[in-house]
Amino acid sequence: MTTLSTDVLVIGGGATGAGVAWDAALRGFDVVLVDRGDLAEGTSGRFHGLVHSGGRYAVKDPKAAEECIAENRILRRIAADCIEDIGGFFVTTPWDDPAYADRFKDGCQATGVDCEEIDPALSLREEPRLNPDISRVFRVPDANIDVWKTVWAMAHGAQDRGARVLPYHAAVAFRRDGDRVTGARVRGARTGEEIDVEARVTVNASGAWAGRVADLAGIEGVRVLPGRGIMIAMNHRLVNTCVNRCQMPTDGDILVPIRTVCVIGTTDEHTGDPDDHTVRESEVDAMLDDGEKLVPGFRQARALRVWTGVRPLFEDAKASDTSTRDVTRAHALLDHDQRDGVTGFVTITGGKLTTFRLMAEETMNAVCRQLGEHRPCTTQTEPLPGSEQREHYRLGERLERKEEHLSGAQLICECEMVTRGKLEDAIRRRATTNLDDIRRLLRLGMGPCQGGFCIYRATGVLHGLDGLSAEQADAALQHFLQERWKGIWPILYGDQLRQARLDDWIFQGVLGVAHTPSSDGDRSAA
Amino acid sequence: MLHYDAVVIGAGTAGLVAGARLAEGGARVCVVAKGVGSTHLAPGTIDVLGYAPDRVASPAAALPEFMTARADHPYALLGPDAVAESLGWLKARVEAGPLPGYRYAGELDRNLLLPSAIGALRPSALVPETMAGGDAALPGRVAVVGSRSLRDFHASLCAGNLRRAGIEARGLEIDIDVERADENALGLARRFDDAGWRAAFAARLAIKLQADERVGLPAMLGARDPHGAWSDLEQRLGRRVFEIPTLPPSVPGMRLFEILRSALRRAGGRLVIGAEVVDVERSGQAIAAVSTRAGGHDVRYAAPWFVLAAGGFASGAIELDSHWVTHERVLGLPLRGLPAPGEPRFVAEYLAEQPMARVGVAVDGELRAEGAENVMVVGAALPGAVPWSEASGEGIALASGSRAAELVLARAGGTPAGAAA
Amino acid sequence: MSSVTTPIDELLRGSLDHCVKCTICETQCPVSNVTPLFPGPKYAGPQAERYRVSDEPSVEWSVDYCSGCGICSMSCPQGVKIAEINAQARHKLKVQKGIPLRDRIITRPTWLGRAGTPVAPLANFTLGFRPLRVLGEKTLGVHRNGPAPKFAGRRFSRWARSHAAPATGRKIVYFHGCGTEYYEPWEGQKVVEILEHNGFRVEVPKQDCCGLPLQSSGLFDDARKVVLRLARALAPHVRDDPDTIIVGNATSCTLMLKREAREILDLENDPDLALVAERTYDICELLLELHDRGELKTDFKPVNERVAYHAPCQQQGHYIGKPALELLALIPELEVSEMNARCCGIAGTYGLKAEKYDIAMAVGADLFSQVRDSGADTVACDSETCRWQITHGTGRSSVHPIDFLHRAYGL
Repeated sequence: MTTLSTDVLVIGGGATGAGVAWDAALRGFDVVLVDRGDLAEGTSGRFHGLVHSGGRYAVKDPKAAEECIAENRILRRIAADCIEDIGGFFVTTPWDDPAYADRFKDGCQATGVDCEEIDPALSLREEPRLNPDISRVFRVPDANIDVWKTVWAMAHGAQDRGARVLPYHAAVAFRRDGDRVTGARVRGARTGEEIDVEARVTVNASGAWAGRVADLAGIEGVRVLPGRGIMIAMNHRLVNTCVNRCQMPTDGDILVPIRTVCVIGTTDEHTGDPDDHTVRESEVDAMLDDGEKLVPGFRQARALRVWTGVRPLFEDAKASDTSTRDVTRAHALLDHDQRDGVTGFVTITGGKLTTFRLMAEETMNAVCRQLGEHRPCTTQTEPLPGSEQREHYRLGERLERKEEHLSGAQLICECEMVTRGKLEDAIRRRATTNLDDIRRLLRLGMGPCQGGFCIYRATGVLHGLDGLSAEQADAALQHFLQERWKGIWPILYGDQLRQARLDDWIFQGVLGVAHTPSSDGDRSAA
Repeated sequence: MLHYDAVVIGAGTAGLVAGARLAEGGARVCVVAKGVGSTHLAPGTIDVLGYAPDRVASPAAALPEFMTARADHPYALLGPDAVAESLGWLKARVEAGPLPGYRYAGELDRNLLLPSAIGALRPSALVPETMAGGDAALPGRVAVVGSRSLRDFHASLCAGNLRRAGIEARGLEIDIDVERADENALGLARRFDDAGWRAAFAARLAIKLQADERVGLPAMLGARDPHGAWSDLEQRLGRRVFEIPTLPPSVPGMRLFEILRSALRRAGGRLVIGAEVVDVERSGQAIAAVSTRAGGHDVRYAAPWFVLAAGGFASGAIELDSHWVTHERVLGLPLRGLPAPGEPRFVAEYLAEQPMARVGVAVDGELRAEGAENVMVVGAALPGAVPWSEASGEGIALASGSRAAELVLARAGGTPAGAAA
Repeated sequence: MSSVTTPIDELLRGSLDHCVKCTICETQCPVSNVTPLFPGPKYAGPQAERYRVSDEPSVEWSVDYCSGCGICSMSCPQGVKIAEINAQARHKLKVQKGIPLRDRIITRPTWLGRAGTPVAPLANFTLGFRPLRVLGEKTLGVHRNGPAPKFAGRRFSRWARSHAAPATGRKIVYFHGCGTEYYEPWEGQKVVEILEHNGFRVEVPKQDCCGLPLQSSGLFDDARKVVLRLARALAPHVRDDPDTIIVGNATSCTLMLKREAREILDLENDPDLALVAERTYDICELLLELHDRGELKTDFKPVNERVAYHAPCQQQGHYIGKPALELLALIPELEVSEMNARCCGIAGTYGLKAEKYDIAMAVGADLFSQVRDSGADTVACDSETCRWQITHGTGRSSVHPIDFLHRAYGL
């Protein structure tokens, strides 16, 4: 068994965990970051992409609103390249309590959320698809964020400072030394190999899975209720501004334009299992109806795929020991030294993506406290790798780059404009044969055809580059097809069904992927 | 309003075959289509029956039993003779078609096994001569040749899977200079039309080949004169050369379109592309006329017979809407094969048979649509088949298009359909 | 039965949702098949559109190489308005980059016509005089070899005013377009005589350009003004009688009135234009309908000739097939070969532009060789700019298909 020794072991490679690793690395700690799957494959990679202005919480949870607007401003600086400045509207639709608008306005003022009421006619000029019956509109500084890009930027930044980042490594057992957690044993999902990681402090940043990880460490009563929500990506940007319903937060009230698509979300349902990804038809229906309220004709527009994300809603059994905030949506930092008398172990859970940096900062403050070291946090000002220029991402960037190299850059994924060069780089960099990992890095196969045209191409490139056997390449292709299908079939109707049928023709009809030699024993018949 | 003896809706294989055969039978025919059809996307092979569900060695032998076992399948309505007859018709049209020397090879007795671009073996009954040399039954090693310039074909992956199937194969790449980074097979096919370019290509390829290898290339050997390009290449290389179908656009499919289009036009049939049917005039149990969207005002086409060849879900002719209701969008006809309410429409395993797969327009035993006695339904609009997994799509299109034409001509001529058959 | 129209579809962008990336448009695009400068309709249309944000600057240049022929939209089996999306993207690009003086001039057939007609011999000399054309290419960017038409030196409308129309007959409104007005007034005379032969009483309202050249060069604001002015001129002549229609022989201009102005220039809601659009017919479309109803006189005398027929892209954009072919087939002894090439290359003014002339000629090469192989002496084609290009590319004379009908009628 390989052994590693480090200052901080972070379990969970979502935005929070990667944020902790980045924060720790900037403070000069040695870090090991592990995740049972790929980075940001869990909750972080399964949200709508909105960096809240705080408006959503201005009435219900002023503290959260203040945190959001503060973090919103910070993220625009430090993660500029991952962020697009889309701006946001809060709109009063005929289904919303008209009295809420004034409370909203007051709430924003009280919490410092920039908010300007504008003429609905102006908003309709800017967003012609918006419901013409909206009565009031407020402009707020919403933004969107590419989480995968952000998380990998932090991971790379940490790596540049010596951190070791191990995706597909699940914690299988904790190292305990009496009342002290001294690290964990992690197992590589692909190799099956175990690594013994000795750490001065272990951070449990596993979000919705934090209760299970704490259990594994022998800490009882960390109760995280996974809150399941569905999100639907529409084929293109029906709006270019984030549109929020001006009402108390509820289901299906946000439409976020992000990259080439827009995402409507979300629902909220408690589930016992954070790995429960069921999508019910009734949820899809409700979400489409909500979309219709914001953008008439929403149901005729093309839905690409649906997915679920699980929020970690913290409800500590040891109520007296919880942090002072009583709101489950707020994040919870559990210093197990104070809470359970176990040192070397900190849990961070709950919260929302917008505040991941703050969560990481508080977590590392607690780690420093446990270690008795004073090392100040610099994540508020240190730009992430790639964001040094402080220029926001623009939607047209990939198109612009392709136009600059029109006859030189071969597109593999046409929908998301992923070039062969980018694909080859990513395959080398990640040293992976999993095209789904590549997808998260590059958006490969995430456009309208959902891989119909690019996955054969990408498999061919992967096969040529990685020295895979044909059998392994077939497996990579079939794995990706199955992964894509997961998010397609529960919402397959209209235009996307035409696409799925063409894709069936391509994969099953033209290529015969169901009949490569291993898949049906055609060998002897040949 | 324009009047015809028959109006065919859809210009894929089924529609063009029906239109051409109606016109050849003396009917005044107009084929109206929303756009260019499926031919440009399919490999250009006529797959009659490849899997039932085990791989079929001989469609001729397998069809009778298959038709008995699957009474709901289009083939059960068509009968083995219609299939055989339509293959013969197509071969003749290919021969008389606009591509000099181009032929289709193969018989209903035996499926050829041709490599796909990923190196799986696809069973096809009738294939362009330019592909026949890929048959797995042929002796000899295979060199699969690709180019980095063509993103739609990956030779070593193809060869790797062929080896797993027991065929001695290797992949090799050859440089092809392209001006366009995203060149597709059609762009390269135009190069192969040029004799000088072809000669240079052959010279560069020849030195890489070993003595007993036959050569598989992506299906791009000539758009205008594929027979000339292919036979020239065989001659220059001194060995068998064959095409391997790959991602759309399909060059062999475009050739098939040209052959069928030309058959239709030569027989005097009209072809109107860009004309989506947007309205239907009914007269009792029959369709009196359809209107197509043009500019400004729609155009009406009236006929005693209509052939619905508009396809299924892939073309959008059959649609599942966001309220989970399925419609036939062209003529508003009833459907068959839908999962019962509350039953799943799709299942989580991608390669499993999807419950919605066999949906089609409800027809009687003679291809007539339920609820519209003068509408014949052909091709992918028919219920009961899963053409992409059965490898039966073009066979159904060809045989049903032929059969519909025959039935219409027989009825229009006053003879009972049975007599004409 | 038909697809439901919703606000979401009203913006052309909405149609990109139907794109399944199938590549059929790529197989049909005449431009991307001859030059890498245009990456093709799928790329420029539904694909790039997902990256466009209305209030952000255009980041493209290649969409300028789309000729706007519209074959992609016609061929698309899924109903994506590819050419129309491209036209809007091109407009944005043009506005941003500044519209060249050349485009402001060659897109104004009315100005050119009015200026050139009185001084036709001089103007024609100028257009045919090589040193001046070279100068024009260098200063304006109008290619020295671009097929420039000759001014007729007289205007069709003047003939129409002096023409004694029959007192009775079914009323029909004739939209002649600029090509007939300034360059080929005889075509207009033939249209009128054919219609009169078939019992129509032809009205020729005062009229101007339809704005198509402006639209296709991305000058949308000017194009809107021009087409609406035309709609205002034509609408009163058909408004009160539901049976009165407008007929035109300039097929690209009738298409502009029928569909393109409303879709591309976003004028769906103008009532005059909607009325005009609904009532406008291409001349061959009308004659074929008359024939179908048994109302077309078929007293055709034999014409013992060979003619090659090319259906121009804009004619195909009417989505009515090729009615001219059916009509020519009515003429005894006339031997007609249908050309099976996509485009002649000119696309209105595209092939006149210095940077696009070679592309246009490469596009047309297929048609030119088919024409030469056909053995025909004459080419019939429904669009004037295409005729000029075909004659330029083949040396064969080219006429509107109605020329043959006119001759066969012995008018």
